Order: sequence, then structure tokens, then C-alpha cells
Amino acid sequence: MATTVVTPVPTTEYSGGTIAREQVSLWRDGWRRLRRNKLALAAVIYLALLVLVAIVSFFWTPYKPNFIGACDTYQTPSPAHLFGCDELGRDSLSRLMAGTQVSLFEGVGTALIVLVVGVTVGLIAGYFRGVVDAIISLIINIFYGIPTLLVALVLVVLLGQGLVNIMVAISATIWMDMARLVRGQTLSIREREYVEAARASGAKSGKILFGHIFPNALGPIIVQATFIIPVAILTGAFLSFLGLGVPPPQADWGGMASEGTAAIRYVTHIVMFPSLALSVTLLAFNFFGDGLRDAFDPRQRR
Amino acid sequence: MTRGTLIYIGQRILLIIVTLLVVSFGVFAAVHSLPGNAFVSAHLHGQDLKDLLHQYGLDRPIPIQYWDFLKGAVHGDLGTSLQIQGEAITPLVIRELSVSMELGGSALLITVGLGMLFGVLAAMRQNTWVDYLLTTLAVIGYSIPSFVLATLGLLVFGLWLHDITGGAFYYPIQWTGTYGTLAELSVPAIALGLYTSGQVTRITRAAMLDVVQQDYIRTARAKGLKERVVTLRHALRNAMIPVTSILGPLIVGIIAGSVVIENIFGIPGLGKEFVRSITAHDYNVTVGVFTIYAALIGVANLGVDLLYTVIDPRIRY
Repeated sequence: MATTVVTPVPTTEYSGGTIAREQVSLWRDGWRRLRRNKLALAAVIYLALLVLVAIVSFFWTPYKPNFIGACDTYQTPSPAHLFGCDELGRDSLSRLMAGTQVSLFEGVGTALIVLVVGVTVGLIAGYFRGVVDAIISLIINIFYGIPTLLVALVLVVLLGQGLVNIMVAISATIWMDMARLVRGQTLSIREREYVEAARASGAKSGKILFGHIFPNALGPIIVQATFIIPVAILTGAFLSFLGLGVPPPQADWGGMASEGTAAIRYVTHIVMFPSLALSVTLLAFNFFGDGLRDAFDPRQRR
Repeated sequence: MTRGTLIYIGQRILLIIVTLLVVSFGVFAAVHSLPGNAFVSAHLHGQDLKDLLHQYGLDRPIPIQYWDFLKGAVHGDLGTSLQIQGEAITPLVIRELSVSMELGGSALLITVGLGMLFGVLAAMRQNTWVDYLLTTLAVIGYSIPSFVLATLGLLVFGLWLHDITGGAFYYPIQWTGTYGTLAELSVPAIALGLYTSGQVTRITRAAMLDVVQQDYIRTARAKGLKERVVTLRHALRNAMIPVTSILGPLIVGIIAGSVVIENIFGIPGLGKEFVRSITAHDYNVTVGVFTIYAALIGVANLGVDLLYTVIDPRIRY
């Protein structure tokens, strides 16, 4: 910025020094507010640890997660097997660690898919309005009128039980919220002066959509995307619980909870740990999302 | 009811019909393009399998099969099950729907009742420990998956209560059908309802805090009305509008939860039937149950919209 010519304010009219506060970007400002929120900060730390566990579990777990006969069937927690063993004698701690990967992939992957689809559809509907908007809105309304989990079940059976297919299936049931949010934002932002100025100076629609409207709707979009993660993890756990999640022997929390529920008459530790992991993780994402929303839009604080 | 309202209802019913057509065709096409068929377990080959497929009309093009399904559906006939051969789906679905409605209805009552109670309490004691406790409980509430709550319910009421009372009093782990239905639905309904009640708490609290700042509340207080009357009749009634707006999504959420809950507790409802039918390739049942659910959600959403006009007479369509 050294070459920028700064026109000094004539001292006769103004002599109070600079009144502009330090320039802070949207991100820095958001992060500063987020840090002040203790619950959100605790959630961020927990989630960082969770990501660490997921990465570590790719390279190392106490036992091989799918190794049958690491210990006795239904063995209760002991120093050698901190979280006990399941009905096939697999080490529960190792499986819990490996299950972290599935939950995080499902959550973040789905959020990314929804981000791309929802933002694109929402921008198009809000910007072009008219017939395009009417058709997209009708599709959104139809999707709102169908039982989401059942759609996901049908899609998983149709596409097959792979991790990516599961993400696609879950995305298909929750993209509407994002699309509707972005559409609303677009409808309001497209009337602002700077968009008009861009249009007047001959900018193409794509440039206006992604260069002007999208960046200005980014705050609410990020908050919405954060709330999609726990919903996606939960839906993924539902699918696994019903036996239509990631295919065995891959460990995942929903499937482990399902196995544990089946064994609940004999032992309770099998169902306890994955249920706890799932609940605390969802809680952390919800606290994080709440904190993020307050940080990006303090007016909406509830 | 004004003319505008009738036109609005007409439009909404049209949307429901369009939704049902699109959804049922989508699911119909989807399940019929699945690899394998409902008769895999019968181990039929060659001509026998062809004959059976022909008998059920499964060897014809999908649009024609769908047309036949539609013709039956408008007369209330959803076809016959492929797995339990010859069983008519309509009576089956109606029987299971009544069980699911009882479960979902009780869960909805718990959700709305508990959620609004907590929300009002939190708003009235804003920024006190009551508020913090209830709002934190609400977030915890919708972070615990309903199947975790269900398992906990089984553990506490099914196993521990059984042990403590020496087997005299406990909740049966699997559906028996011999107890009074509502008593037997209690634990599943609570597990299902608690999860969504957290969202109602948050919405109610936010709405109440918004409403109590309005001028008409000050007027009501200035008139010398009792605080209880101000809260319940003036504030709560207005705060119910945002709460009503999430009833639709709540119902969808409860239906999703009930699919899992019914499978855990072995409750013979639509959700259990759906999972069975889809894993067994029982196409006709899958399509039938799906269509019923979509119709249910459509009617519920319409009902919610009409509820607005009851709560707030200013709203007209």
C-alpha cells in the first residue's frame, strides 16, 4: 500500500486524528467473538481432538479395528481393553476410534455437497426469479413434503451402501434449507446499489452471482453449513442403526450402537460408548454452530 | 371461511397431489430398478420365476405398472404384498398407520407441551440460572439421538426396574401387544418426543422474549392485569405463531425418528414395515407406505397453515 496517495484532511476542518478503528476482516472479527464464548470454545477444542483421533486412527489403533478375536466376546472394560469388546471379540476402543472417520466424513462431506448444490440452486432461483424461481421453488416444496429419512433409505438401497453414496443420499434430504436460505439472501442482496453498479458496468451474471452476491451472503451460509454437519452425522447414524449405513466390517458409531442395543440384555458397555461419542459430538457441533451464528451475526443472538 | 381461504386450500391440495404423483413415481421407478427382486428367497429359476413375475405383472414396462398402481390407488387399493404373497396392502397399512399415529401423536404432544413449558419458563426467568439450565438442556436434548434415548429407556425401565422390583414391575423390551397400547407406547413416545422438544424450547423462548417487548404487553400490564394473564393470554398466544411455523418440520422429524424407534422396540407400525419392505424388495409395500407418509405430511402441513388463522385472526389467505 506504500504507493497509495493519501489525501490529507485539511486541518482547518478536522484535527481529531484518525477515527477509523483498526481494520478487521470478517474472519478475524468472527474468531474474536467466538473465542469469548466459552461453550463454543470448548466445542472447538473437542472437535479438534476428534479430528486428531480420526487422523491417528488411520495409522494406529490399540488393536486392528476389524480383528475378530482380539479378546473374549462381550468382555467388559479392562486395562487391556479400556472400552471392552463387542459380540465378535473386537476391541471397542479401536472400533470407536475408526468410527470417528465415518462420522466426520459423513458430516463434513455432506455439508460440502449441500453447500455446492444449495448455494448454486439458491443463487440461480433468487437471481433470475420468474419461471426459473417458480420451478425451483416447486421442487423445494415437493422435497419439504416428503419424509426425509425414507428418501435417504430408498437412495442408499438404490445407490449401494458406500460412504460417498450415503453422503449423496443424506444431501438429497437436506439441501432444501440451504437453497431456501441462499435464495432469500440473493433476493435481498440483488437489489443493493453495488450489485446495480456492477450490472451497469457490464459485469456478466456469473461474475455478479459469485463475485458480489455470494461473498455478501457468506456469513449465514457458513452458519447454516455448520448446522448441517450434526444433522448429517445423525442421519448417517440412523441409517447405520437400521443396517443401511457403511457396509461392514467398517466400524461406525451408529452401527456399533445398534449392535450394542441388540446385546443390551447381557452387557451395556457396547451400546454406551458409541452412544456417548455420538451425543457429545453432536452437542459440540451444535454449540459450535450456535457460537458461530452469534459471532457472525450478533443481532440474532438468542 | 372466506373465498380467499378456500382458493388457498385448493392450491395447497393441488400441491399435495402433485407431490404425491412425483414422489410415488420417483419411489416406484427407484425400487423397480433395484437389482434382484422380491422372490430371491424363494430360489426360483427359469420359467417358474418368469411365471411368478408375470403373475404380479412385474415383467411389464415400469410406466405401465405405475399406471396400474395409480388406477388402484385412486380407488384406495395399493396392491398386494409380494413377500407375504396375496396380502392386501391397504388394510395392512391402515392397521400400521393407526399404531404409528398413536406413537407419533403422543410424541408430538410431549414435544410441544414440554418444549413450550420450558421455553416460557426460560423466557420469564431470562438470564437467571433457570434460563441457562433450560436452554442448555434444550441443546443437549436435540444433540442426543432418539435411539440413544430409547436404549437408555430400555435399560432403565426394561432392565434395571425389572431387577430392582424383582421382576414385579418393568417395561417389556419387545412389543407384546397385550398391554394397553398407550402404556406400552409410553417409553418410545418419550424417547421420540424429548429429542424434538429442545427445538420447541428454543423457538418458544426466543419468541416470548420478542413478544414481551411489544407495546401491547406494556398496555396489558398498565391495565393492571395479573402477570399470569399477561403471560398466558397475551404473550404466549402471540409467541405461538413462530412455534406453529416449525410444526411441519417437527412432524417430519418425528416420522424419521419413529422409523428408528419402531425398529428398536419392535412396534408394528409403518416405519418398521418400511424398513422391512425395502430390505426385502417388497416393492408394492415400499411405494404404498411412502405414499401414505407423503400424504400424511402434506395434510399435516395444510393443517398447520390453517392453524395460523385460528391463533392469529389477522392472518388471511
